[in-house]
Amino acid sequence: MAANLDRRHFLGLAGASAGAAALSACGGPDTGGTTSASKAAEIDFSGVKPAAKIDFWTNHPGKSQDVEKSIIEKFHVKFPDIKVTLVTAGANYEEIAQKFQTSQAAKSGLPGVVVLSDVWWFRYLTNGSIIPVDGLVKELDIKVDDFRQSLVDDYKYDGKQWALPYGRSTPLFYYNKDHFKAAGLPDRAPATWQEFAEWAPKLKATSGAQYAYIYPALAGYAGWTLQNNLWGWGGAWSKDWEITCDSPESVEALQWAQDSIYKHNWAGVSSKEAADDFSAGLTSSTISSTGSLLGVLKSATFNVGVGFLPGGPKAASGVCPTGGAGLGIPSGISKEEQLAAGTFLKFMTEPENTAAFSAATGYMPTRTSADMTAVLAKTPQIKTAMDQLAVTKVQDRARVFLPGADQEMAKAAAKILTQQGDVKATMTELKKTLEGIYTKDVKPKLKA
Amino acid sequence: MTRQLASTPSTRPPDPPGRPLKQRPRRWSGRSRRDFFVFLALALPNLVLIAVFTYRPLISNIYYSTLDWTLGSASATVVGLDNYVTFFSSDDASKVLGTTAVFTLVTVGGSMFLGLLIALALNATVRGTTFARSAVFAPYVLSGVGVGLVWLFIFDPGYGVLAWVLRGIGQQSPQWINDPQLSLVMVILVYVWKNLGYCAVVYLAGLQSLPQDVMEAAALDGANGFRRFLSMSIPLLSPTTFFLLITSLLSSLQAFDLIRIMTPLGTGTSTLIYEAYLQAFGAFNRAGYSASISVILFAILLVITLLQVRFVERKVHYS
Repeated sequence: MAANLDRRHFLGLAGASAGAAALSACGGPDTGGTTSASKAAEIDFSGVKPAAKIDFWTNHPGKSQDVEKSIIEKFHVKFPDIKVTLVTAGANYEEIAQKFQTSQAAKSGLPGVVVLSDVWWFRYLTNGSIIPVDGLVKELDIKVDDFRQSLVDDYKYDGKQWALPYGRSTPLFYYNKDHFKAAGLPDRAPATWQEFAEWAPKLKATSGAQYAYIYPALAGYAGWTLQNNLWGWGGAWSKDWEITCDSPESVEALQWAQDSIYKHNWAGVSSKEAADDFSAGLTSSTISSTGSLLGVLKSATFNVGVGFLPGGPKAASGVCPTGGAGLGIPSGISKEEQLAAGTFLKFMTEPENTAAFSAATGYMPTRTSADMTAVLAKTPQIKTAMDQLAVTKVQDRARVFLPGADQEMAKAAAKILTQQGDVKATMTELKKTLEGIYTKDVKPKLKA
Repeated sequence: MTRQLASTPSTRPPDPPGRPLKQRPRRWSGRSRRDFFVFLALALPNLVLIAVFTYRPLISNIYYSTLDWTLGSASATVVGLDNYVTFFSSDDASKVLGTTAVFTLVTVGGSMFLGLLIALALNATVRGTTFARSAVFAPYVLSGVGVGLVWLFIFDPGYGVLAWVLRGIGQQSPQWINDPQLSLVMVILVYVWKNLGYCAVVYLAGLQSLPQDVMEAAALDGANGFRRFLSMSIPLLSPTTFFLLITSLLSSLQAFDLIRIMTPLGTGTSTLIYEAYLQAFGAFNRAGYSASISVILFAILLVITLLQVRFVERKVHYS
C-alpha cells in the first residue's frame, strides 16, 4: 500500500472526525441571553389531558420507601389512567439534586415529580428548572390553605408557589432519659444552653457515655442545626441578603460551642450521623432531625426523650429552624406530564397520606386537617415536634438561597469545632466567601 | 510497490526535452484499494469511538470552560478566559494545587517504595509466597467504594476499630473525618494500602526477570546483598520504575472514588479532579468553572507525561 496515500487519507479521516467532534461540541446551553424563572407566567392547564405515566424521583427521606410505595398503590387505584414509577434518585438530597441538574443539562429523562430540599428549590427556581404550581392549584383545586402556613410559605417567592411541603422537619433535642435520671436531672430538655452547661458535668460523671452532648456531623447539615445556637445568642448567618455570620453575637455563640468541646470537655462532634451516635449510647444527648425520630426509637436500647431546642442568653424561644423537603414539578416536561404530576402531587399531600408518611418516618404532617390521633397514640414523641412548629423560624437566606453556602458553613464549623480555629477570623473568612457567592451566583439572577 | 515498478521496463515514451516533468495522477490499484478498505474496516470503528467518547467531550469541555454556566440552567454567558483567571487569582488555586501535589507525591512515592519492599519480600522462595502475593494484590482489585466504606468504619472516632484500640491504651481517637488535615492523611493511607499491591506485583515481575548471571558475577566479585540491590537491582529495575511512575502518577491525579466516599465535602482532600466534580455536581453547580479546572488538570497530565517521556526515560536502563 502506498505510504503517501495512507497517511493522506488517514489525516483526512482524523480531520473529519475532529471536525465532527468540534461541531458536536457546540451543543450545551444557549448563550444568546439569560432566562429568569421568576418571570415564568402562570401555566393554564384547562383542556389539557394528563399523561399516562410519570416518574417520581425521591431519596426516600426518613427511610420512607415502603410508605411511598403504598401511597402510590393507592394512587393507582384512584387514578388507573396515570402510572407513577417510584425512582430512587439518590441516597440524600444532594444526590437527587445532582441527578436532577444533570438531567436538566442533558434535557432528557426528567421526572414528573421531584423531591427538593430546603437548600435546592430556590436554585431550581433561578435556573428555570421548575414551574410555579399555582396553575395546578387552580386546575386541580389543591387546598393550599389547609397546609401548615409556615411550611407552605417556605416555597413562596415573587408572589408564586414553587413547591408543596412533603418530608418537612425541624431539629429536635434528643436525650437519654436513663442518663438524665442517673444524673439526678429533670426528665425534660434544657430550657437554655446555659442550663445544659450546668447539667453536662453531672451527665458526664454519671452516664459512662463519651459525651454529654454531641454536635451533629459537620458534613451533614451543620449550617442548619447551628442556626439554633446563633439565634439563641442573638446572631444569624444573615439578615436578608446581608451576611452577619461575623457579628459579635454570632462569634460569641460559636465561641461558646467551641469552649464546650475544648475548655469544658463535655461535648464532641459526630463524624457521620449524630442520631446513630445517640442510639449507640455514645452521647447522652444530641440534636437531630425529626425525620430521625422513628429510627432512633427503633434502634435505641434505652428510654428516649425529646424536647424543644434549647434557647440562648438572648432568645429563649423562636430558636428552631424549619427544614426538610418539598415536592416540585420540572419545567422541561410536557404540559400533559405536568398535569399528571400535579394530580400525583395533590394526592401525595392529601391529609390521610401526610399522616401515613408522618407515622412511618417521624416527619411532620403538613396538613392541618390530618388526623394524627392514631399516630400520636403509637408515637407520642411526634407531638413534641408538632408543638415545636409553633415556635419555628424560617432559615436565614444565606443558608438556603446561596449555592454551596451550607458546605462553606460546614467547613467553617469544622475549623472551629474540630481544629480549635480562631472563631472571629473563621467567621470573617466565611463572610467573605458567602458575599462572593451572593455577588457571583445569586445577585445577577435576582436582577434578571 | 515502488521497487517493483522501478524494476519493470518502462513502456512510457521519454519526455520531450525542454518540457517540464509532469507527474500523472496516481491511480489506486485493486490491491491498494482493497488494503485501504481493510484498514478502514479495522480502524474506523475505533477512530469513531475515540472521536465520540474522548475528543468530543474534550472539545466540549474546553468550550464549556469559556462559559459562565450554572448546571441545569438552559442559558449561559460566554466569558472567555474568566474562569481560568478566577481560579488562578483565588485562594482555590493554591489550596487545590497544594492538596493535589501532596496527595499525588505521597501516594505515588508511598505506593512505589512500599511496593518495592513488599516485592523484595515476596521474591524470596519460602512457603506461602503464593498466598502472600494474592493477599497483597487483592486490595487493588477491590471496589474503591467498598474499600472506602470499610475504612470509614475503621477510622470512625466514635466506634471504629482504631478508636477502640486507642481507647484500650488510654488514648482518644483523632478526628479523622472532621479534621481536614487528618482527612487527607486518612485518604492517603487508604489509597496507598489499596494500590501498593499493584506496584508490588509489577516490581516482583521486574525482580524475577533480572539477569541472574550478572547478579551472580557481582556476588562472586564480593558485593553483598545490599550493595547488589543498590548498584545492580535498582538500575536494572529502572524500566519497571519508569512504567510504574507514569501509570501511578496518572491514576493518582485521577483518584476519585475513595475521596468521594470517605470525604464527600472534600474538606482538606479537594484535589483538582475532585474540585472539578464539587464545583459542577456538588453544591455550587458552576459547570463552566468546573470545566476550566478539568482543562487545567488535562494540561498538567499532558505536560507531566511529555516531560517524563522526554527527560526521565533517558535515565532508564533498558538492557
